[in-house]
Amino acid sequence: MVFNIHTRSNPDSFRPGILRLSLTAALSLFLLFLCHSRTFAATDTLRVTGTVTDSLGAPMPGVLVKVNGSTQATITDASGYFQLKQVPVGATILFSMMGYMPQEMKAGSAPLTVRMRRGVRQLDEVVVTDGYRTTTRAANTSAIGTISGAALENKPFSTFMQSMQGKIAGVSAPLTSGQPGANVNIRIRGVGSLSLSSDPLIIVDGMIVNSGQLSGAVTTSNALAGINQNDIESIDVLKDAAATALYGSRGSTGVIVITTKRGKLGKTQVRADAEGGVASAMPLPHAGKPLNAAQYAELFREGLRNSGYTDPQINDLADKYGLNSGKSNDWYDLVTRTGRQQQYNVSVNSGTEKTKLFASAGYFNQQATTIGADFKRVSGLINFDHQINKRFLLSAGVNISNVDQNTPYSTQYSGNPTWAARVLRPFQLAYKDDGSINTATTGNTNFPGIYNPLWIAKYDNKRLSEMRMLGNTKLKWNIWDQLVYTSYFSVDYNTLEEIIYLNPVMGDGVSAGGTSKNYYSRYFNWLTRNQLDYRYDIPGYNNFYVTASVGYEAQKSKKYLLAAVGSGFPSAHEDLTALSNAANATGAYGQFSNYAFTSLYSNAGINYRNKYALNGSFRRDGSSRFPANNRNASFYSIGGTWNVHEEDFFQQQHILSSLKIRSSYGTTGNANLGNYDWMPQASYSSTYSYAGYNGSQYSIIGNTDLRWETSKKFDAGADIGFNNDRFVLTIDYYHNNIDGLIRAVNTSLTTGFGSVSQNVGAMLNKGWEFTIKGDVLKYKDFNWYSNFNLAINKNQITRLPQGTPERNDMFYLKEGYSFNNYYLKEFAGVDTETGAPLYYTDGGHGATTTDISKASYVVLDRLSIPKYVGGFNNVFTYKGISLGVDFNYNLGYWVYGASDVYFTSGANYTYNKYQFIYDRRWTKAGQQTDVPKYSTTTDNSVSTYRLYRGDHIRLQNISIGYDFSHLPLAKRLGVNKLYVYGRGTNLWTKTFDDRLPFDPEVSYSGFDYQNMQKYKTFTFGVNVAF
Amino acid sequence: MKKINQHIWLPVLLAATTLISACGKQFLDEQPPTSVSVEKGILTDSDMMEALAGLYRNLDNYFLFGRNAVIFGDLLADNVYLSSSNSTRLLQQYSYTFIVSSPEAKLLWSQSYYSILQANRIIGAHISVNNNVNQLRGEAYTLRALCYLNLVNWYATPYTVDPAAPGVPLITLSTDVGGAFIKPARNSVAQVYDQIISDLDSAYLIMPDATPSVHTASSNFIAKQAVKALQARAYLYKGDYAKARDAALLVVKNGGYTLAADDNAFNTYWGSPAGRTDKVESIFELNNSAAANNGPEGLDYMYSRNGLGDVLVTDDTYALYTPTDKRRALITDATRGGYQAYFVNKYQNANKTDKDEVKLLRYAEVLLTLAESYARLGDEPNALLYLNKVAQNRDAALVAYSYTGPALTDAILLERRKELAFEGLRFFDLTRTKAEIHRQNMGAKAYTGYPTVKTTDFRRLQPIPEAETAANPTIQPNPGY
Repeated sequence: MVFNIHTRSNPDSFRPGILRLSLTAALSLFLLFLCHSRTFAATDTLRVTGTVTDSLGAPMPGVLVKVNGSTQATITDASGYFQLKQVPVGATILFSMMGYMPQEMKAGSAPLTVRMRRGVRQLDEVVVTDGYRTTTRAANTSAIGTISGAALENKPFSTFMQSMQGKIAGVSAPLTSGQPGANVNIRIRGVGSLSLSSDPLIIVDGMIVNSGQLSGAVTTSNALAGINQNDIESIDVLKDAAATALYGSRGSTGVIVITTKRGKLGKTQVRADAEGGVASAMPLPHAGKPLNAAQYAELFREGLRNSGYTDPQINDLADKYGLNSGKSNDWYDLVTRTGRQQQYNVSVNSGTEKTKLFASAGYFNQQATTIGADFKRVSGLINFDHQINKRFLLSAGVNISNVDQNTPYSTQYSGNPTWAARVLRPFQLAYKDDGSINTATTGNTNFPGIYNPLWIAKYDNKRLSEMRMLGNTKLKWNIWDQLVYTSYFSVDYNTLEEIIYLNPVMGDGVSAGGTSKNYYSRYFNWLTRNQLDYRYDIPGYNNFYVTASVGYEAQKSKKYLLAAVGSGFPSAHEDLTALSNAANATGAYGQFSNYAFTSLYSNAGINYRNKYALNGSFRRDGSSRFPANNRNASFYSIGGTWNVHEEDFFQQQHILSSLKIRSSYGTTGNANLGNYDWMPQASYSSTYSYAGYNGSQYSIIGNTDLRWETSKKFDAGADIGFNNDRFVLTIDYYHNNIDGLIRAVNTSLTTGFGSVSQNVGAMLNKGWEFTIKGDVLKYKDFNWYSNFNLAINKNQITRLPQGTPERNDMFYLKEGYSFNNYYLKEFAGVDTETGAPLYYTDGGHGATTTDISKASYVVLDRLSIPKYVGGFNNVFTYKGISLGVDFNYNLGYWVYGASDVYFTSGANYTYNKYQFIYDRRWTKAGQQTDVPKYSTTTDNSVSTYRLYRGDHIRLQNISIGYDFSHLPLAKRLGVNKLYVYGRGTNLWTKTFDDRLPFDPEVSYSGFDYQNMQKYKTFTFGVNVAF
Repeated sequence: MKKINQHIWLPVLLAATTLISACGKQFLDEQPPTSVSVEKGILTDSDMMEALAGLYRNLDNYFLFGRNAVIFGDLLADNVYLSSSNSTRLLQQYSYTFIVSSPEAKLLWSQSYYSILQANRIIGAHISVNNNVNQLRGEAYTLRALCYLNLVNWYATPYTVDPAAPGVPLITLSTDVGGAFIKPARNSVAQVYDQIISDLDSAYLIMPDATPSVHTASSNFIAKQAVKALQARAYLYKGDYAKARDAALLVVKNGGYTLAADDNAFNTYWGSPAGRTDKVESIFELNNSAAANNGPEGLDYMYSRNGLGDVLVTDDTYALYTPTDKRRALITDATRGGYQAYFVNKYQNANKTDKDEVKLLRYAEVLLTLAESYARLGDEPNALLYLNKVAQNRDAALVAYSYTGPALTDAILLERRKELAFEGLRFFDLTRTKAEIHRQNMGAKAYTGYPTVKTTDFRRLQPIPEAETAANPTIQPNPGY
């Protein structure tokens, strides 16, 4: 029937048939075996009850209670009580809970009393489950970091990525904008590529999803903003070769595995969370506050005077600029506001032995602290597992979300409110005398250059509506006990509707009489995976086995974009912004962009009594992103571990309670290349058309020799437990050599192109990671749990194409140096007599000059990415009260103010200035200072003058909560959990440079571009479970 | 029964897995949606037409002839000043602070060579020759010459000062043929002019007399006579007046171009946003339509009072026009930033959806080139004939000029200034004639100025961009930068 394979001569028509085949195969298997359910004959059974408590005697809900050797299981209720029926006499009952040592007891008719002890050394505890395998702690040979769902829940953030900074050693996730829903660029163990994206691969429930910014028109967006943080069970970060090599050509920059919540065994539980709060912009450092009207007016006059203007000229200009008008306003106040936010989540968990279900619905709404920005999400998740019979398990899940986001422009755009607030003079008046918004563009008290941000925020529309559907089904077939076949299919479907409407009255839309650009993008991304897993127990040994798996995977992602632009909008009807109102259709675009991967992979391991384990993997990938001759490549890894604490000799010492040593080596690739970048192309576009004729341009230089970037990763680590594992220290050393680095090699512009991509470079990332966690203090009911982590990464360029210029914008590009090493002329302070800026003639600091062209570039001992990164996360509990205090820190780096020429230099005297310019400028002979005389002829050249120390420690999160569920009233109402909490985020930041004018958490470039102000939040919430 | 089941399914599964792998080859073939592999780029006449359209469009890039290459010709010279009340565009250029790393320096250079690449692709295309192909290829030759003439005059010493000075690299092969890793040195100014003239000769030789139907015959495209109009300019800049005269004469005799007949026609001409098919005034102008224009970055928007209006006419320039001169109506007397200001009114469609064309070759220029060539060759009657032809057309009340000797040449150059003001040629007229540039001090009305550009000032040459010197060590930078 289904498996009638027709042999066809035409290979083109053959392909879809095969794909259908694999799907129908899975489906028909499922149908065929539905009817094969069997029941076991009943033997002597009894009813087992009992109570589970922690080591202090407090009842423990949620402990898994399982009859050994059967699928029968339950979980304890809120009072720690459980009940199992029809348990075979003499059976062993197993108790387990994440974070605790497992316990065993013989079933009996008397109620059991079980005390769980905290512990880390659970050999069979699952460390990570991704699409390819399940790894237990004992057999794990890799460096993996985990964030549990509990740490992500109820955070006042639009994406889970905003909670990741400082949580896992070696993972950085800086927040560079206050835009809710902004993309967060995560880096695992440093920058993994120079030209390709270093974003890690993201897996959601086994699916390799399209992540990052998928939008085409709005300033920023995050494809994963649709995932509700409260739906996440755990986030695992795979860092080394043993963990990532199975991702082959896409594992080089690390892998983040997100697992959503699934139904757990137990009676149906409903949980509801509600949270509300406010947000305000994080205060600007004093040095960076915009000047008030009086200060600005003083500098304005002083600057002109210092530049040789006569008094009448100055007075004339001062009049024109409104300095004498007595009317001014504070732009910073005008563009910021108190944002409101709220979220509501409801979830249902239900599980029987046969069927388990988790379903949730969530609503999240955040108004940003900058005008014109906000974010809304509606999400739903259903995860379903059904044990069809003893041999077949069907799992399915659907996650649907809608994100609605308003996003003003960023960087140096006139439509960026943050930029406008910095640039606009206090004397440019936001409102007319009659109280309406000022839209006049002539006259210097109005808006001849930068637009009035109030008008733009009100009448422009920069909106994204993103609908995401992520669905998967998995059929697991235990062919026999040692052989398992898994068929998996997943779809990641995304549609984005974007509207950029620019009003006809003021702003970028004026010249066209108002414009609207509408984008519709659709991403259809599917993946299928078929895998066989085999386990062979070596006869004659207990717990000595070999595992092997082999699988095939195919993935295709198809993007479709339809866009239209119109201009000429009714100017007196602000609400008529729909594209169909446009007088002229000025653009229409439709295109696609696809990629495909096919992979054959295998994985094998050997485990000797959980003492020694070895693990190897191999993957061969093919990708559509490379020329036919370089399309396929192979990747492999090998890893081993020794659980020293399983050895007899280990028991002879009492300092350590556990010790695990592991190491791995392997290769992975980076295929984050544009879908068709390799091909030299003559392209068509409406931007190439001329006088009504279709136009083409030779616009893509391409390179038909392009290959994958390959990284060779070595990792050695140890997990060390102290004091009965009350403290666990994890240390990792890694050495990641990235070869065949794709580099845009600069070409002579006379070729028509600026650069060509080639596999020419090599780079090394090496470093150390430390995590120590455990109960710092335990006294009666009081407990202080702490997690401190530190990562030290050293980046070094090891090979570059010959003739690569040493100066890479502001960085030194040379073998032996970090890619992020600043290379600038050095500011040497101010001439105390003349107030002129001084520069060191060279790195020796022997002589200074006022002529910057006589200063030479110096290789500075300053990096743009932090040397030390990490977090310090604490939970204090006392009875029902818990207090969480999380810090993160980034130390040892420098930030360049890429927009600062406008806010520091008197040459741009019509722009407002940073406070420190006013405070510290040179005004009289003999004055020792570091800000030169304020004049319109100040040199604007790039030097260390605008380089600031970025080091900072941030109090990222502080929360306090109380669980009322022990109150009699709550119990009477059937409430299992009633947790009330208050939370503050980003409340405090310590910086180390008194000139630093902005928040130092910037992107990996080390440049500040005046992105939207970040914010702090105060929220209050309640979680109820029935 | 159970056992048998297992043994049937297993091979089937394995077979299915293997078969999917077997189909991998086509599965991984993905082709881009809007482009073709470049070696398959030009296979037919219509491919070539599309490539040519792409070339024209790139010339309209606002770092090239869409704005900068044209506006610099006045902004850096003496016709205009930048208002102190401005949109912050082009401040550095106006105050003669040219920076090797600035986008303006880089993109004037790189967009020129990108255009040259497109032209080289057309010129080098291997397709069978016919009338269409000859027309299109001739246009590509001409546009390549236009780019080189522009490049050599911005980045190199004028031919009239030193023909042996370093010019710009001559690239005549498409990059897919010539390679991505060339590191060309600068050819001499003389060599660059040789290439320009030879390209124009090639174009003139192959182009049909009348534009075939491959595209419309309008001033938006290079017609055969436009080749000679451009060549006349090249010879004039080179100081080869006899050849400039010959080229200009060919345009006058065979071109069929006319000046606007009266006030009405003159005003209609300057008010129109469309290319022309009637051969009035325009020989070649870049198309800016409602669908394709530079919006707020266009040349028209920069000048127009209905756009940014940042660049204003100096009082001295305004004073050159008599009250009866039609061209005075192309300057508007109004205010800006509280001051009286003269706005350029040659670009009247900045606030319309169909924007102004960028006029790159006009008949009046050819006539004045002819007049100047005659004057410099000593044929004063003919020089006066063509000078008066322009001057009296523009000012009906004007008594015909009767200058002789150097005064005649001066009068022609002044007429050239008045006629071609705000069209980007003034700077080159000053540099080729080795004149000091005096930029009127407009006081508080103007952004910080740079009043006098001496003939020895290194800033008369634009800097070879840093991006070029960094990637191409062979290239010699311009002194002073």
